[in-house]
Amino acid sequence: MIDQILKYSWLIALVPLLSALLIILFFNFSRKISAFLSIGAVAYGLIHSLYVLFAIYTNPEKHIELNLPWINAGTFKLFVGYLVDPLCAMMLVVVCSVSFFVQVYTHGYMKDDPGYSRFYAYLSLFTFSMLGLVFSTNLFQSYIFWELVGVCSYLLIGFWWYKPTAAYACTKAFLVNRIGDAGLLIGLLMLYFSTQGFWQDKTTLAFGELKNAIDFATNSHILPIVGIVSVTTIALFVLMGPMAKSAQFPLHVWLPDAMEGPTPISALIHAATMVAAGVYLIARCYPLYIAAPVAMNIVAWIGGITAIFSATIALSQYDIKRTLAYSTCSQLGYMVMALGLGAYSAGLFHLMTHAFFKAMLFLCSGSVIIGCHHEQDMRHMGGLRKYMPITATTCLIGVLAISGFPFMSGFWSKDMILASAWEHNKPLFIVGSVTALLTAFYMFRLYFMTFHGSYRGHAHPHETTPAITIPLILLAILSIFIGLIGSPLIKGGDKFSAFISYGEHHAHHEWGFNVFLKELMTIQGLIPLCAFVVGTLVAWLVYQKGLPINKFIQNNLKPIYNLSFNKWYVDEVYFWILNKIILPAYSVGWKFIDKVVVDGIFVNGSALVVSFVGGKLRYIETGRGQLYVVVIFGSVLFALLFLLTRLK
Amino acid sequence: MEHLTQLFLNHALSTILILPVVAAIVIAFLPSKEPICRVLALIFSLDILLNVLVIIFSKFDPNLTAFQYVESYQWFGDVIRFKLATDGLSISVVLLMAILLPVVIIASEPIAKEKPKLYYSMLMVVTTSVLGVFLAQDLFLFFLFWELELVPMYFLIAIWGGPNRNYAAMKFLIYTFIAGACMFAAVLLLFFSSGANTFDMEVLARYAKSLPHVFQLACFILFFLCFIIKLPSFPFHTWLPDAHVEAPTPVSMLLAGILLKMGGYGIYRICVGFFPNILVELGLWITILAVVNIVGAAIASLVQDDMKRVIAYSSVSHMGFVLLGVVSMTAAGFSGGIFQMFSHGLISAALFMLVGTLYERTHTRQITDYGGMAKYMPKCFYMFILGAMANLALPALSGFVGESLVFYGAFTSKYFANFPTALHFNFGQICVLLSSLSVVLTAGYMLWLLQRVFMGPENTKWSKLTDLRLSEMVVLSSLFILVIVWGVYPASLSCLYEPSSTALLTQIVSLVKIL
Repeated sequence: MIDQILKYSWLIALVPLLSALLIILFFNFSRKISAFLSIGAVAYGLIHSLYVLFAIYTNPEKHIELNLPWINAGTFKLFVGYLVDPLCAMMLVVVCSVSFFVQVYTHGYMKDDPGYSRFYAYLSLFTFSMLGLVFSTNLFQSYIFWELVGVCSYLLIGFWWYKPTAAYACTKAFLVNRIGDAGLLIGLLMLYFSTQGFWQDKTTLAFGELKNAIDFATNSHILPIVGIVSVTTIALFVLMGPMAKSAQFPLHVWLPDAMEGPTPISALIHAATMVAAGVYLIARCYPLYIAAPVAMNIVAWIGGITAIFSATIALSQYDIKRTLAYSTCSQLGYMVMALGLGAYSAGLFHLMTHAFFKAMLFLCSGSVIIGCHHEQDMRHMGGLRKYMPITATTCLIGVLAISGFPFMSGFWSKDMILASAWEHNKPLFIVGSVTALLTAFYMFRLYFMTFHGSYRGHAHPHETTPAITIPLILLAILSIFIGLIGSPLIKGGDKFSAFISYGEHHAHHEWGFNVFLKELMTIQGLIPLCAFVVGTLVAWLVYQKGLPINKFIQNNLKPIYNLSFNKWYVDEVYFWILNKIILPAYSVGWKFIDKVVVDGIFVNGSALVVSFVGGKLRYIETGRGQLYVVVIFGSVLFALLFLLTRLK
Repeated sequence: MEHLTQLFLNHALSTILILPVVAAIVIAFLPSKEPICRVLALIFSLDILLNVLVIIFSKFDPNLTAFQYVESYQWFGDVIRFKLATDGLSISVVLLMAILLPVVIIASEPIAKEKPKLYYSMLMVVTTSVLGVFLAQDLFLFFLFWELELVPMYFLIAIWGGPNRNYAAMKFLIYTFIAGACMFAAVLLLFFSSGANTFDMEVLARYAKSLPHVFQLACFILFFLCFIIKLPSFPFHTWLPDAHVEAPTPVSMLLAGILLKMGGYGIYRICVGFFPNILVELGLWITILAVVNIVGAAIASLVQDDMKRVIAYSSVSHMGFVLLGVVSMTAAGFSGGIFQMFSHGLISAALFMLVGTLYERTHTRQITDYGGMAKYMPKCFYMFILGAMANLALPALSGFVGESLVFYGAFTSKYFANFPTALHFNFGQICVLLSSLSVVLTAGYMLWLLQRVFMGPENTKWSKLTDLRLSEMVVLSSLFILVIVWGVYPASLSCLYEPSSTALLTQIVSLVKIL
């Protein structure tokens, strides 16, 4: 039975693809059938993946890997297949469950949209691509699905293409991701080039063999650790992919704009699953980073910088979804930082907990947006707790979870990351703690501005339908309790790290409440807690008690405020470079080369020469026979003389 | 029955060559009604497709790298023979032609209203000449078919083209004529200097390799010039945007879809097959040319304001991958180059069709005249998304296969490893790194085009427009189905040509020392 479940696990990915195709080709006329097919497919996937998780958890030795040849040319072979191991099983459950909740929610959120069926088709297609990425056995296959999730994201951000902002956002998202993809492609090429002797009779670029391949290349002196062509540069080129996908600085610019898409998409793709794919890929390529300490350090710092950088922007945004988007960047930064610090399981643990609470927060924001009749500006909200009690409660749970309230899921995962930062890299610990403080502040700012005080808008807010609130409640329950599996409170200690680990040292062999208290009562345990308390307190003072700190900063420290409010002007700088330098240069370059050099000098020039020469030559055609004879005779004589000189 | 089948199989190649000629003659005697001519042309084209499929599935053995279905008849004594044969390389381009022809004929409906008899006859003559180029195994015959293609194409552009058609057609004519002159000189030079007293390509290929160096060099350069004018490649590419802009939609489809592949095929068959030594010698220059094409044309695409020019420059950029694949001299590069020709044939035909459907309705190709077209033409919008994604080499669509094979091939090439640079990358790898810019640029110009034409606020001027007709949907969906099928499972196509291309490579490796 278990073998059968694992063997047919590829169905988890394939069934959503089938549902997408069925909807696109046959059932796009019927809203009911589309929703049923799409939700049914992912429900099947959820059940199957839970079985898979159970099977892998109880039989950790049962890894499944199967590869099929995709194309071969001479000795060069590429494969696609599926791989089931603990990491994959965990991701399957995360993707399927979030996708399931979001698809149920979609029914409530999109019910008046003319593109309802199309939306479900795209959702199914995305679920397929994301699951395909999770199942990938090798880097090349990852690249395939990596781009497919990107195109699904493109389609869904541009779902309301008639809004100019959405049209612009989807192009931008795809292009920024393509920059990352180009880097990833170069990384793959370099990796394959350096290790090609190794892959003779193996699956090309398989994750399972990556460690051996790198050892092979470094031991046989093909590949140095540091240098222009080295493990480090390969790791950094590969990192470009995750940097774009997981919105890490400086390629983060697409994610906040991606909020132009419908809110279910923001929850599913741009908070829970696709953006986490970057973290997942780093985890899959971990041997590469382990072998290159410099690259590892850069990963950690990119994560840390992104975490604090985005948090500072989130402080001053008024759009509820943009605030959450910057918060997503910041949390992804935590995950990347954790992986860079060598805290493999902590990073993936945060990926999992974040997927649930951030998806829920986005769904809450969607509920608020619907309840306030498509209002996204928090300045026009307030006091919604009275009108939308369920949304308010679930949102509060999400806010507590993300800011690290003790015993909620975010608390455990963030503590794990900060503990390892304390151990390996003190500056990053400070960065992480400050980010935690800022996170608590801006999340409570969001909560207070939206749900407390008095209503400042002009619509008639109302609670949303059960299709929206039930997924919220279920996700809220998960957000509270899912963190426990990585905590020392349950029997046997940290189950998560025991299940998913990359040979790192486990802190949580012991378990029980005393262990927890002992760990909390250290510097690295107390500082994050203090950060939470301080952040929350300040937010409470400012937005509940009316302490005018925010006004003070807005009026007296304008440059700092503007920097945060205008997102550090990164977009402006990029845009300036693109519009003022790159495009004009291209335009001038093209005009010069094609119009002036090729068509002007080369083509028309040769035509001029021909007509000039022809024009002059026509004076030779006098019509007098004698001259012709002289010319002919002369040429023949010349030719004969020439031949004579060549005779030996 | 048995006898008849045998008779067909023995004359299969000449049958598919003669069928379009017969069609052209029959069409000439039909009444001058467009639907009748079109249906007849369609029947003939489907018959050609059927014949090609029969050829592939009955006796053709892709693993046999020698020429198959050989037919050789005396023509001008024994010197010039009417010799036809095929191998994996040529049968795959023949298949592409056979697939595109019916599609192009269906797409011709709105264009051919004027002088339908002449139009379809011309189309059929083009078919014969293109198939002839791919099937001829006699160099003189090859040259004849190559030149024959020029005549109908000139008229197709000059009669049914846009406002500036005479200029474009004349430019096309002159460029192609110069190409033909180069080839003629090369053919004669090769014939006289080899002293083989035959134009048989198999024999000449053997002789060519032992010619004095200077003759080989001269022949190679002349042939190569001819092929890169056709491909087209910088600096001989400016005829292509002009010709495409003025040519009617189906002719553009044919031009981008199959005529450019004559250049690619020629490079594989003659430049690589006859003169591997020279190819190795000039490899670096060709690599630079390839990169200039790939990146330069992508940059040019980005700054065009005419939709058709965007697609035309993108053709130049994509055909650059064929050059890069060839010159990498690896199995992956060779295979990728052929795959790229095939997939570009399908994708560019589809894109030209899409642009043509818009032009037919609005009579403008200026991108700024559009905006929000998705509202009025949703089907066209989705098809265009698919086309754009295929063109920017999205995985699971066929464009990706060719490009990634070429990238892998060029990056790992043993040949390029002979040219180390101070940067620790060898010369070819630097070129690959540069061409990987096109990954971003291609996405840039395709998606920006999509955004400006279809998204954003709609231009109410176009509110009366109708969406795609059934015939247009048939054309586009048949092309895209193939794009998807060969993108998802590329081995189904590559198995056809792979043994031949690998055999070609092994042959070169055995001849050239530094590989």
